[in-house]
Amino acid sequence: MSLLVSKGLSLRLPSRIVVSCHRSLVQQTPFDLDEGDDEKYRSFNNMYVDMFTPGNDLKAPFNGKEVRKSVNELDEINQEIDQLYNVGYHKITALELENLVKREGRFVLRSLSTDPYYNLALEDYVFSHTPISDRFFSHRLLFYKNDNCVVIGKNQTVWKEVFLNNLAQRGYEFIRRLSGGGAVVHDLGNINYSFITSRKEFDREFFNKLIVKWLINKYPDMPLQLNSRGDITLNGNKVSGSAFKIAKGKAYHHGTMLVQSNLEKFKGLLKPDHIDGLRWNCNSVESVRSKVANIPLRAVHEFIDICVTGWQNHFPLANKVPVYYCDQSVAINDDIKNTISKLKSDEWKYFSGPNFCVKIEQGNHDISVQKGIIVDSTIPGTVGMSFKDFSSSFPKLL
Amino acid sequence: MFSRALLRTVNPLRISIRAQSTNALSKTALPFTYSPSGPSAVKYTNQHEWLAAHSDGTAFLGITKYAADALGDATYVELPEKETQLEAGEAYGSVESVKSASEVYQPVSGEIMEANNNLESQPQLINTDPLGDGWIARIKIAEPDSLESQEGLLSLEQYERSLKEDE
Repeated sequence: MSLLVSKGLSLRLPSRIVVSCHRSLVQQTPFDLDEGDDEKYRSFNNMYVDMFTPGNDLKAPFNGKEVRKSVNELDEINQEIDQLYNVGYHKITALELENLVKREGRFVLRSLSTDPYYNLALEDYVFSHTPISDRFFSHRLLFYKNDNCVVIGKNQTVWKEVFLNNLAQRGYEFIRRLSGGGAVVHDLGNINYSFITSRKEFDREFFNKLIVKWLINKYPDMPLQLNSRGDITLNGNKVSGSAFKIAKGKAYHHGTMLVQSNLEKFKGLLKPDHIDGLRWNCNSVESVRSKVANIPLRAVHEFIDICVTGWQNHFPLANKVPVYYCDQSVAINDDIKNTISKLKSDEWKYFSGPNFCVKIEQGNHDISVQKGIIVDSTIPGTVGMSFKDFSSSFPKLL
Repeated sequence: MFSRALLRTVNPLRISIRAQSTNALSKTALPFTYSPSGPSAVKYTNQHEWLAAHSDGTAFLGITKYAADALGDATYVELPEKETQLEAGEAYGSVESVKSASEVYQPVSGEIMEANNNLESQPQLINTDPLGDGWIARIKIAEPDSLESQEGLLSLEQYERSLKEDE
Protein backbone atom coordinates (compact mmCIF):
# COMPACT_ATOMS: atom_id res chain seq x y z
CA MET A 1 0.00 0.00 0.00
CA SER A 2 1.89 2.70 0.92
CA LEU A 3 1.91 5.94 -0.11
CA LEU A 4 4.15 8.40 0.00
CA VAL A 5 5.91 10.61 2.16
CA SER A 6 7.23 13.93 1.65
CA LYS A 7 10.13 16.00 2.23
CA GLY A 8 9.62 16.03 5.88
CA LEU A 9 7.60 12.98 6.17
CA SER A 10 4.47 12.91 4.34
CA LEU A 11 2.27 10.22 3.17
CA ARG A 12 0.93 10.40 -0.27
CA LEU A 13 -0.70 8.42 -2.97
CA PRO A 14 1.50 6.59 -5.39
CA SER A 15 1.48 8.48 -8.62
CA ARG A 16 0.86 5.35 -10.66
CA ILE A 17 -2.50 4.85 -9.02
CA VAL A 18 -3.40 8.48 -9.10
CA VAL A 19 -2.96 8.61 -12.81
CA SER A 20 -5.15 5.64 -13.57
CA CYS A 21 -7.77 6.95 -11.24
CA HIS A 22 -7.89 10.35 -12.73
CA ARG A 23 -8.89 8.84 -15.98
CA SER A 24 -12.02 7.21 -14.70
CA LEU A 25 -12.75 10.14 -12.48
CA VAL A 26 -12.64 12.67 -15.19
CA GLN A 27 -15.25 10.66 -17.03
CA GLN A 28 -17.56 10.54 -14.09
CA THR A 29 -17.05 13.90 -12.56
CA PRO A 30 -16.09 16.67 -14.88
CA PHE A 31 -14.65 19.67 -13.12
CA ASP A 32 -17.26 22.30 -12.93
CA LEU A 33 -16.13 24.99 -10.64
CA ASP A 34 -19.01 27.29 -11.37
CA GLU A 35 -21.43 25.02 -9.60
CA GLY A 36 -21.56 24.90 -5.86
CA ASP A 37 -22.40 21.25 -5.67
CA ASP A 38 -20.58 20.31 -2.50
CA GLU A 39 -21.43 16.67 -2.71
CA LYS A 40 -19.81 16.28 -6.05
CA TYR A 41 -16.52 17.74 -4.93
CA ARG A 42 -16.57 15.90 -1.70
CA SER A 43 -16.81 12.71 -3.64
CA PHE A 44 -13.81 13.75 -5.68
CA ASN A 45 -11.84 14.63 -2.64
CA ASN A 46 -12.71 11.36 -1.01
CA MET A 47 -11.73 9.45 -4.07
CA TYR A 48 -8.25 8.92 -2.74
CA VAL A 49 -9.67 7.31 0.33
CA ASP A 50 -12.32 5.20 -1.31
CA MET A 51 -10.17 3.77 -4.02
CA PHE A 52 -7.90 2.14 -1.48
CA THR A 53 -10.37 0.96 1.04
CA PRO A 54 -11.80 -2.26 -0.32
CA GLY A 55 -9.65 -5.20 -1.20
CA ASN A 56 -6.45 -3.30 -1.00
CA ASP A 57 -3.57 -5.69 -1.25
CA LEU A 58 -1.14 -4.82 1.45
CA LYS A 59 2.45 -5.74 1.26
CA ALA A 60 4.13 -5.05 4.51
CA PRO A 61 6.54 -7.90 4.98
CA PHE A 62 7.52 -6.89 8.45
CA ASN A 63 4.28 -5.73 9.85
CA GLY A 64 1.52 -7.41 8.01
CA LYS A 65 -0.32 -8.39 11.15
CA GLU A 66 -0.73 -4.93 12.51
CA VAL A 67 -1.74 -3.47 9.23
CA ARG A 68 -4.50 -5.98 8.67
CA LYS A 69 -6.09 -5.25 12.00
CA SER A 70 -9.24 -3.29 11.76
CA VAL A 71 -8.92 0.42 11.91
CA ASN A 72 -10.72 0.83 15.19
CA GLU A 73 -8.99 -2.04 16.86
CA LEU A 74 -5.58 -0.58 16.16
CA ASP A 75 -6.55 2.84 17.43
CA GLU A 76 -8.00 1.29 20.55
CA ILE A 77 -4.87 -0.72 21.19
CA ASN A 78 -2.74 2.38 20.80
CA GLN A 79 -4.90 4.24 23.25
CA GLU A 80 -4.91 1.42 25.75
CA ILE A 81 -1.15 1.04 25.63
CA ASP A 82 -0.92 4.75 26.06
CA GLN A 83 -3.03 4.76 29.18
CA LEU A 84 -1.30 1.73 30.55
CA TYR A 85 2.17 3.16 30.18
CA ASN A 86 1.39 6.63 31.37
CA VAL A 87 0.40 5.60 34.85
CA GLY A 88 2.83 6.13 37.68
CA TYR A 89 5.30 8.54 36.11
CA HIS A 90 6.52 11.38 38.22
CA LYS A 91 5.71 14.46 36.18
CA ILE A 92 7.86 17.54 36.57
CA THR A 93 6.29 20.87 37.50
CA ALA A 94 6.51 24.08 35.49
CA LEU A 95 9.26 25.33 37.81
CA GLU A 96 11.22 22.11 37.56
CA LEU A 97 10.92 22.27 33.79
CA GLU A 98 12.21 25.83 33.71
CA ASN A 99 15.18 25.07 35.95
CA LEU A 100 16.00 21.95 34.01
CA VAL A 101 15.85 23.64 30.63
CA LYS A 102 17.78 26.77 31.56
CA ARG A 103 20.67 25.12 33.34
CA GLU A 104 23.41 23.33 31.46
CA GLY A 105 23.39 19.60 31.10
CA ARG A 106 21.94 16.79 29.07
CA PHE A 107 18.59 15.18 29.66
CA VAL A 108 15.79 13.20 28.06
CA LEU A 109 12.25 14.60 28.32
CA ARG A 110 9.15 12.58 27.52
CA SER A 111 5.89 14.36 27.11
CA LEU A 112 2.92 12.30 28.24
CA SER A 113 0.58 14.73 26.50
CA THR A 114 -0.79 13.84 23.08
CA ASP A 115 -1.82 17.40 22.26
CA PRO A 116 0.25 18.35 19.18
CA TYR A 117 0.11 22.06 20.01
CA TYR A 118 1.45 21.50 23.51
CA ASN A 119 4.14 19.15 22.29
CA LEU A 120 5.40 21.48 19.57
CA ALA A 121 5.30 24.43 21.96
CA LEU A 122 7.15 22.42 24.63
CA GLU A 123 9.80 21.49 22.08
CA ASP A 124 10.16 25.14 21.07
CA TYR A 125 10.43 26.17 24.72
CA VAL A 126 13.18 23.66 25.48
CA PHE A 127 15.01 24.59 22.27
CA SER A 128 14.81 28.36 22.82
CA HIS A 129 15.97 28.25 26.44
CA THR A 130 18.73 25.69 26.17
CA PRO A 131 21.90 27.55 27.21
CA ILE A 132 24.65 27.86 24.68
CA SER A 133 28.31 27.83 25.65
CA ASP A 134 31.63 27.26 23.93
CA ARG A 135 31.85 23.72 25.16
CA PHE A 136 28.31 22.58 24.54
CA PHE A 137 27.04 19.76 26.71
CA SER A 138 23.35 20.61 26.95
CA HIS A 139 22.04 18.18 24.37
CA ARG A 140 18.38 17.43 24.87
CA LEU A 141 16.35 14.53 23.59
CA LEU A 142 12.55 14.78 23.56
CA PHE A 143 9.88 12.21 22.78
CA TYR A 144 6.20 12.87 22.17
CA LYS A 145 3.19 11.36 20.47
CA ASN A 146 0.47 13.41 18.84
CA ASP A 147 -3.22 12.69 18.40
CA ASN A 148 -4.41 12.47 14.81
CA CYS A 149 -3.05 15.46 12.92
CA VAL A 150 -1.43 16.54 9.68
CA VAL A 151 1.67 18.70 10.06
CA ILE A 152 3.20 20.74 7.24
CA GLY A 153 6.56 22.55 7.07
CA LYS A 154 6.59 26.25 7.84
CA ASN A 155 7.35 27.18 4.23
CA GLN A 156 4.67 25.12 2.55
CA THR A 157 1.34 26.11 1.00
CA VAL A 158 -1.43 24.39 2.93
CA TRP A 159 -3.98 24.31 0.10
CA LYS A 160 -1.46 22.61 -2.18
CA GLU A 161 -0.42 19.99 0.39
CA VAL A 162 -3.50 19.04 2.39
CA PHE A 163 -7.12 17.94 1.82
CA LEU A 164 -8.47 20.32 4.46
CA ASN A 165 -12.06 19.08 4.11
CA ASN A 166 -11.04 15.48 4.66
CA LEU A 167 -9.03 16.45 7.73
CA ALA A 168 -11.99 18.26 9.21
CA GLN A 169 -14.41 15.43 8.43
CA ARG A 170 -12.16 12.79 9.91
CA GLY A 171 -11.07 14.74 12.95
CA TYR A 172 -7.45 15.40 12.04
CA GLU A 173 -6.02 18.66 13.29
CA PHE A 174 -4.14 20.75 10.73
CA ILE A 175 -0.84 22.14 12.00
CA ARG A 176 1.92 24.26 10.51
CA ARG A 177 5.12 23.62 12.41
CA LEU A 178 8.10 25.87 13.10
CA SER A 179 10.68 23.82 11.22
CA GLY A 180 11.22 23.24 7.52
CA GLY A 181 10.42 20.21 5.41
CA GLY A 182 7.27 18.59 4.08
CA ALA A 183 3.86 17.35 5.12
CA VAL A 184 3.34 14.35 7.39
CA VAL A 185 0.51 12.54 9.17
CA HIS A 186 0.73 11.77 12.90
CA ASP A 187 -1.28 9.37 15.02
CA LEU A 188 -0.70 7.59 18.32
CA GLY A 189 1.16 4.76 16.60
CA ASN A 190 3.84 7.23 15.52
CA ILE A 191 6.53 8.41 17.90
CA ASN A 192 8.26 11.77 17.44
CA TYR A 193 11.79 12.38 18.63
CA SER A 194 13.59 15.68 18.83
CA PHE A 195 17.32 16.08 19.28
CA ILE A 196 18.60 19.51 20.32
CA THR A 197 22.26 20.39 19.85
CA SER A 198 24.51 23.36 19.10
CA ARG A 199 24.73 24.86 15.64
CA LYS A 200 28.44 24.10 15.61
CA GLU A 201 27.87 20.40 16.20
CA PHE A 202 24.75 20.18 14.07
CA ASP A 203 24.86 17.59 11.33
CA ARG A 204 21.63 16.54 9.62
CA GLU A 205 22.53 12.85 9.61
CA PHE A 206 24.12 12.58 13.04
CA PHE A 207 21.14 11.46 15.07
CA ASN A 208 19.51 9.23 12.46
CA LYS A 209 22.81 7.41 12.01
CA LEU A 210 22.73 6.70 15.72
CA ILE A 211 19.11 5.52 15.59
CA VAL A 212 19.88 3.11 12.76
CA LYS A 213 22.93 1.84 14.63
CA TRP A 214 20.97 1.24 17.84
CA LEU A 215 18.11 -0.50 16.02
CA ILE A 216 20.41 -2.76 14.02
CA ASN A 217 22.31 -3.52 17.16
CA LYS A 218 19.16 -5.01 18.62
CA TYR A 219 17.71 -6.40 15.38
CA PRO A 220 20.65 -7.27 13.12
CA ASP A 221 18.34 -8.56 10.40
CA MET A 222 16.18 -5.48 10.14
CA PRO A 223 16.83 -4.08 6.63
CA LEU A 224 17.18 -0.44 7.67
CA GLN A 225 18.95 2.23 5.70
CA LEU A 226 19.47 5.96 5.74
CA ASN A 227 18.60 7.42 2.34
CA SER A 228 20.12 10.45 0.64
CA ARG A 229 17.53 12.73 2.22
CA GLY A 230 18.43 11.52 5.68
CA ASP A 231 15.21 9.49 5.99
CA ILE A 232 15.24 6.02 7.53
CA THR A 233 13.89 3.32 5.24
CA LEU A 234 12.92 -0.32 5.71
CA ASN A 235 13.05 -2.40 2.54
CA GLY A 236 13.07 0.93 0.74
CA ASN A 237 9.88 2.16 2.42
CA LYS A 238 10.13 5.22 4.59
CA VAL A 239 9.58 4.56 8.29
CA SER A 240 11.00 7.85 9.56
CA GLY A 241 11.36 11.34 8.16
CA SER A 242 13.04 14.41 9.52
CA ALA A 243 12.92 18.18 9.65
CA PHE A 244 15.30 20.71 11.15
CA LYS A 245 15.50 24.17 12.59
CA ILE A 246 18.57 26.29 13.19
CA ALA A 247 18.37 29.40 15.38
CA LYS A 248 20.44 31.36 17.91
CA GLY A 249 23.50 29.15 17.80
CA LYS A 250 21.47 25.98 18.29
CA ALA A 251 19.71 23.47 16.08
CA TYR A 252 17.19 20.72 16.43
CA HIS A 253 16.51 17.66 14.39
CA HIS A 254 13.04 16.24 14.89
CA GLY A 255 11.69 13.20 13.22
CA THR A 256 8.86 10.70 13.16
CA MET A 257 9.01 6.95 13.54
CA LEU A 258 6.02 4.95 12.31
CA VAL A 259 5.61 1.98 14.65
CA GLN A 260 1.95 1.06 14.86
CA SER A 261 0.43 3.81 12.80
CA ASN A 262 -2.87 3.25 11.14
CA LEU A 263 -1.51 3.76 7.65
CA GLU A 264 -4.84 2.86 6.07
CA LYS A 265 -6.33 5.96 7.56
CA PHE A 266 -3.61 8.23 6.22
CA LYS A 267 -4.95 8.01 2.71
CA GLY A 268 -6.76 11.01 1.38
CA LEU A 269 -5.21 13.42 3.87
CA LEU A 270 -2.21 14.61 1.90
CA LYS A 271 -2.65 15.73 -1.67
CA PRO A 272 -0.92 14.03 -4.59
CA ASP A 273 1.55 15.90 -6.78
CA HIS A 274 -1.13 16.98 -9.16
CA ILE A 275 -4.87 17.47 -9.10
CA ASP A 276 -6.61 17.93 -12.44
CA GLY A 277 -7.97 21.39 -13.01
CA LEU A 278 -5.52 23.23 -10.80
CA ARG A 279 -2.06 24.49 -11.57
CA TRP A 280 -0.02 25.84 -8.70
CA ASN A 281 2.79 28.27 -9.16
CA CYS A 282 4.47 28.30 -5.80
CA ASN A 283 7.98 28.94 -4.67
CA SER A 284 7.09 27.18 -1.47
CA VAL A 285 8.69 23.95 -0.33
CA GLU A 286 7.23 20.86 -1.98
CA SER A 287 6.69 17.57 -0.26
CA VAL A 288 8.56 14.61 -1.69
CA ARG A 289 6.33 11.59 -2.12
CA SER A 290 7.61 8.32 -0.69
CA LYS A 291 6.15 4.96 0.19
CA VAL A 292 5.84 4.49 3.91
CA ALA A 293 5.68 1.55 6.30
CA ASN A 294 5.66 0.82 10.01
CA ILE A 295 8.87 -0.34 11.62
CA PRO A 296 8.39 -3.81 13.16
CA LEU A 297 8.85 -2.97 16.81
CA ARG A 298 6.52 -4.13 19.59
CA ALA A 299 5.34 -0.64 20.50
CA VAL A 300 6.44 2.98 20.35
CA HIS A 301 7.81 2.48 23.85
CA GLU A 302 10.30 0.00 22.53
CA PHE A 303 11.65 2.64 20.17
CA ILE A 304 11.94 5.14 23.01
CA ASP A 305 13.72 2.60 25.20
CA ILE A 306 16.20 1.70 22.46
CA CYS A 307 16.99 5.38 21.86
CA VAL A 308 17.27 6.33 25.52
CA THR A 309 19.59 3.43 26.30
CA GLY A 310 21.62 4.14 23.19
CA TRP A 311 21.88 7.80 24.05
CA GLN A 312 22.88 7.12 27.65
CA ASN A 313 25.56 4.72 26.48
CA HIS A 314 26.80 7.34 24.03
CA PHE A 315 28.37 9.11 27.03
CA PRO A 316 30.01 6.21 28.86
CA LEU A 317 32.17 8.43 31.06
CA ALA A 318 29.58 11.01 32.05
CA ASN A 319 26.82 10.71 34.62
CA LYS A 320 23.88 8.78 33.30
CA VAL A 321 21.65 11.07 31.24
CA PRO A 322 18.45 11.50 33.31
CA VAL A 323 14.94 10.93 31.94
CA TYR A 324 12.05 13.24 32.93
CA TYR A 325 8.33 13.19 32.20
CA CYS A 326 5.88 16.02 31.81
CA ASP A 327 2.45 16.95 30.52
CA GLN A 328 0.44 20.10 30.00
CA SER A 329 -1.55 19.83 33.20
CA VAL A 330 1.47 20.97 35.23
CA ALA A 331 4.48 21.66 33.01
CA ILE A 332 3.09 24.75 31.35
CA ASN A 333 4.10 28.41 31.45
CA ASP A 334 3.46 31.66 29.60
CA ASP A 335 6.09 30.96 26.93
CA ILE A 336 4.52 27.60 26.12
CA LYS A 337 1.00 29.07 26.21
CA ASN A 338 2.02 31.86 23.84
CA THR A 339 3.50 29.42 21.37
CA ILE A 340 0.35 27.26 21.57
CA SER A 341 -1.76 30.35 20.79
CA LYS A 342 0.49 31.24 17.88
CA LEU A 343 0.38 27.72 16.43
CA LYS A 344 -3.41 27.62 16.79
CA SER A 345 -4.00 31.04 15.23
CA ASP A 346 -5.35 31.55 11.72
CA GLU A 347 -2.67 34.21 11.41
CA TRP A 348 0.04 31.54 11.59
CA LYS A 349 -1.82 28.74 9.81
CA TYR A 350 -3.33 30.59 6.87
CA PHE A 351 -1.86 34.12 6.68
CA SER A 352 1.88 33.66 7.16
CA GLY A 353 3.01 31.18 4.54
CA PRO A 354 4.75 31.72 1.22
CA ASN A 355 3.19 33.75 -1.57
CA PHE A 356 1.72 31.73 -4.41
CA CYS A 357 -0.34 31.78 -7.60
CA VAL A 358 -2.92 29.22 -8.64
CA LYS A 359 -4.55 28.75 -12.02
CA ILE A 360 -8.06 27.30 -12.01
CA GLU A 361 -8.37 25.77 -15.45
CA GLN A 362 -12.15 25.84 -15.46
CA GLY A 363 -12.84 29.39 -16.52
CA ASN A 364 -9.12 29.98 -16.96
CA HIS A 365 -8.78 31.98 -13.77
CA ASP A 366 -5.54 33.16 -12.18
CA ILE A 367 -5.27 34.07 -8.54
CA SER A 368 -2.23 35.55 -6.76
CA VAL A 369 -1.99 35.33 -3.01
CA GLN A 370 0.34 37.13 -0.61
CA LYS A 371 0.29 36.39 3.10
CA GLY A 372 -3.01 34.58 2.66
CA ILE A 373 -4.77 37.49 0.94
CA ILE A 374 -5.77 37.55 -2.73
CA VAL A 375 -3.84 40.44 -4.28
CA ASP A 376 -4.58 39.77 -7.92
CA SER A 377 -7.38 37.79 -9.50
CA THR A 378 -9.30 37.36 -12.73
CA ILE A 379 -12.45 36.58 -10.75
CA PRO A 380 -14.29 39.86 -10.10
CA GLY A 381 -14.72 40.85 -6.48
CA THR A 382 -12.14 38.49 -5.02
CA VAL A 383 -9.17 40.86 -4.63
CA GLY A 384 -8.70 41.63 -0.95
CA MET A 385 -10.46 38.44 0.12
CA SER A 386 -8.58 35.93 2.24
CA PHE A 387 -7.72 32.78 0.31
CA LYS A 388 -9.06 30.81 3.26
CA ASP A 389 -12.53 32.29 2.71
CA PHE A 390 -12.24 32.07 -1.05
CA SER A 391 -11.33 28.39 -0.93
CA SER A 392 -14.43 27.58 1.11
CA SER A 393 -16.51 28.44 -1.94
CA PHE A 394 -14.21 26.43 -4.22
CA PRO A 395 -14.17 22.95 -2.66
CA LYS A 396 -11.76 21.84 -5.36
CA LEU A 397 -9.10 23.76 -3.47
CA LEU A 398 -9.77 22.06 -0.15
CA MET B 1 44.21 51.21 -11.43
CA PHE B 2 41.90 50.93 -8.45
CA SER B 3 43.72 47.98 -7.02
CA ARG B 4 47.04 49.70 -7.42
CA ALA B 5 45.83 52.65 -5.41
CA LEU B 6 44.63 50.24 -2.77
CA LEU B 7 47.94 48.45 -2.59
CA ARG B 8 49.68 51.62 -1.73
CA THR B 9 47.47 52.41 1.21
CA VAL B 10 46.71 48.99 2.60
CA ASN B 11 48.90 46.32 4.11
CA PRO B 12 49.65 43.87 1.26
CA LEU B 13 49.17 40.89 3.56
CA ARG B 14 45.61 41.93 4.20
CA ILE B 15 44.95 42.16 0.50
CA SER B 16 46.11 38.64 -0.06
CA ILE B 17 43.81 37.37 2.69
CA ARG B 18 40.91 39.15 1.08
CA ALA B 19 41.72 37.83 -2.34
CA GLN B 20 41.61 34.25 -1.11
CA SER B 21 38.60 34.71 1.06
CA THR B 22 35.25 33.37 -0.01
CA ASN B 23 33.43 35.34 2.66
CA ALA B 24 34.34 38.74 1.15
CA LEU B 25 31.64 40.90 -0.38
CA SER B 26 31.13 40.45 -4.15
CA LYS B 27 32.28 43.63 -5.84
CA THR B 28 29.89 43.39 -8.77
CA ALA B 29 26.53 43.15 -6.98
CA LEU B 30 24.27 45.77 -5.42
CA PRO B 31 25.46 45.46 -1.79
CA PHE B 32 28.83 46.74 -3.06
CA THR B 33 27.84 48.95 -5.99
CA TYR B 34 25.06 50.79 -4.13
CA SER B 35 27.67 53.48 -3.45
CA PRO B 36 30.08 54.24 -6.32
CA SER B 37 33.04 53.75 -4.01
CA GLY B 38 31.62 50.65 -2.34
CA PRO B 39 30.43 50.21 1.24
CA SER B 40 31.95 52.21 4.09
CA ALA B 41 32.12 49.08 6.28
CA VAL B 42 31.53 45.34 5.94
CA LYS B 43 30.87 43.47 9.18
CA TYR B 44 30.20 39.85 10.18
CA THR B 45 28.59 38.09 13.13
CA ASN B 46 29.29 34.78 14.81
CA GLN B 47 25.85 33.68 13.55
CA HIS B 48 27.38 33.79 10.05
CA GLU B 49 25.64 36.93 8.82
CA TRP B 50 27.19 39.86 7.01
CA LEU B 51 26.30 43.52 6.81
CA ALA B 52 27.52 46.01 4.17
CA ALA B 53 27.01 49.56 5.43
CA HIS B 54 27.02 52.60 3.17
CA SER B 55 27.69 56.21 4.07
CA ASP B 56 24.02 57.24 3.79
CA GLY B 57 23.01 54.88 6.61
CA THR B 58 21.80 52.14 4.29
CA ALA B 59 23.03 48.60 4.83
CA PHE B 60 22.59 45.29 3.03
CA LEU B 61 22.26 42.04 4.95
CA GLY B 62 22.85 38.43 4.04
CA ILE B 63 24.46 35.16 5.13
CA THR B 64 28.09 34.24 4.60
CA LYS B 65 29.48 31.77 2.11
CA TYR B 66 30.43 29.56 5.02
CA ALA B 67 26.80 29.49 6.22
CA ALA B 68 25.42 28.95 2.72
CA ASP B 69 27.77 26.01 2.15
CA ALA B 70 26.84 24.50 5.50
CA LEU B 71 23.10 24.79 4.80
CA GLY B 72 23.19 23.27 1.34
CA ASP B 73 20.85 24.09 -1.52
CA ALA B 74 18.38 26.77 -0.51
CA THR B 75 14.81 25.88 -1.49
CA TYR B 76 12.96 28.82 0.05
CA VAL B 77 13.85 32.18 1.55
CA GLU B 78 11.41 33.74 3.98
CA LEU B 79 11.78 37.48 3.38
CA PRO B 80 11.07 40.31 5.83
CA GLU B 81 8.20 42.77 5.47
CA LYS B 82 9.04 46.28 4.41
CA GLU B 83 9.04 48.93 7.13
CA THR B 84 9.50 46.43 9.94
CA GLN B 85 11.50 47.89 12.83
CA LEU B 86 13.91 45.37 14.29
CA GLU B 87 16.34 45.35 17.19
CA ALA B 88 19.82 43.92 16.88
CA GLY B 89 19.62 40.15 17.32
CA GLU B 90 16.00 39.81 16.18
CA ALA B 91 15.21 37.34 13.44
CA TYR B 92 14.21 39.02 10.18
CA GLY B 93 13.75 35.97 7.98
CA SER B 94 14.85 32.42 7.39
CA VAL B 95 16.48 30.27 4.77
CA GLU B 96 15.15 26.77 4.16
CA SER B 97 17.42 24.13 2.69
CA VAL B 98 17.11 20.37 2.70
CA LYS B 99 14.30 20.46 5.29
CA SER B 100 16.15 22.88 7.60
CA ALA B 101 14.67 26.25 8.44
CA SER B 102 17.55 28.47 9.50
CA GLU B 103 16.75 31.84 11.03
CA VAL B 104 18.69 34.96 10.08
CA TYR B 105 19.25 37.84 12.51
CA GLN B 106 19.67 41.58 12.34
CA PRO B 107 23.29 42.38 13.18
CA VAL B 108 22.22 45.95 14.15
CA SER B 109 18.97 47.73 14.93
CA GLY B 110 17.18 49.29 12.00
CA GLU B 111 14.23 49.37 9.66
CA ILE B 112 13.66 47.04 6.72
CA MET B 113 13.53 49.16 3.55
CA GLU B 114 13.43 46.38 0.99
CA ALA B 115 13.66 42.61 0.72
CA ASN B 116 15.48 41.00 -2.19
CA ASN B 117 12.45 39.71 -4.06
CA ASN B 118 14.65 37.88 -6.58
CA LEU B 119 15.09 35.26 -3.87
CA GLU B 120 11.42 34.32 -4.13
CA SER B 121 11.91 32.71 -7.51
CA GLN B 122 15.68 32.15 -7.26
CA PRO B 123 16.48 30.98 -3.75
CA GLN B 124 19.63 29.39 -5.18
CA LEU B 125 21.23 32.86 -5.28
CA ILE B 126 21.86 32.23 -1.58
CA ASN B 127 24.28 29.50 -2.64
CA THR B 128 25.73 30.92 -5.85
CA ASP B 129 26.42 34.45 -4.59
CA PRO B 130 25.62 34.75 -0.87
CA LEU B 131 27.68 37.93 -0.49
CA GLY B 132 26.31 39.59 -3.60
CA ASP B 133 23.12 38.88 -5.53
CA GLY B 134 22.01 36.66 -2.66
CA TRP B 135 21.59 39.61 -0.27
CA ILE B 136 18.40 39.24 1.76
CA ALA B 137 17.43 42.70 3.00
CA ARG B 138 18.27 46.38 2.68
CA ILE B 139 17.87 48.29 5.92
CA LYS B 140 18.21 51.81 7.31
CA ILE B 141 20.56 51.52 10.27
CA ALA B 142 19.11 53.12 13.42
CA GLU B 143 22.48 54.40 14.66
CA PRO B 144 24.95 54.33 11.79
CA ASP B 145 27.62 56.24 13.71
CA SER B 146 27.94 53.60 16.41
CA LEU B 147 28.61 50.75 14.00
CA GLU B 148 32.31 50.51 14.87
CA SER B 149 31.66 50.41 18.59
CA GLN B 150 28.82 47.89 18.43
CA GLU B 151 29.48 44.61 20.14
CA GLY B 152 29.48 41.39 18.24
CA LEU B 153 30.40 42.84 14.85
CA LEU B 154 33.53 41.30 13.38
CA SER B 155 35.83 42.34 10.58
CA LEU B 156 36.36 39.85 7.75
CA GLU B 157 39.70 38.88 9.28
CA GLN B 158 38.19 38.34 12.71
CA TYR B 159 35.34 36.32 11.22
CA GLU B 160 37.67 34.11 9.18
CA ARG B 161 39.82 33.59 12.26
CA SER B 162 36.78 32.53 14.28
CA LEU B 163 35.94 29.96 11.60
CA LYS B 164 39.46 28.53 11.81
CA GLU B 165 39.24 28.31 15.59
CA ASP B 166 36.01 26.38 15.31
CA GLU B 167 37.48 23.77 13.06
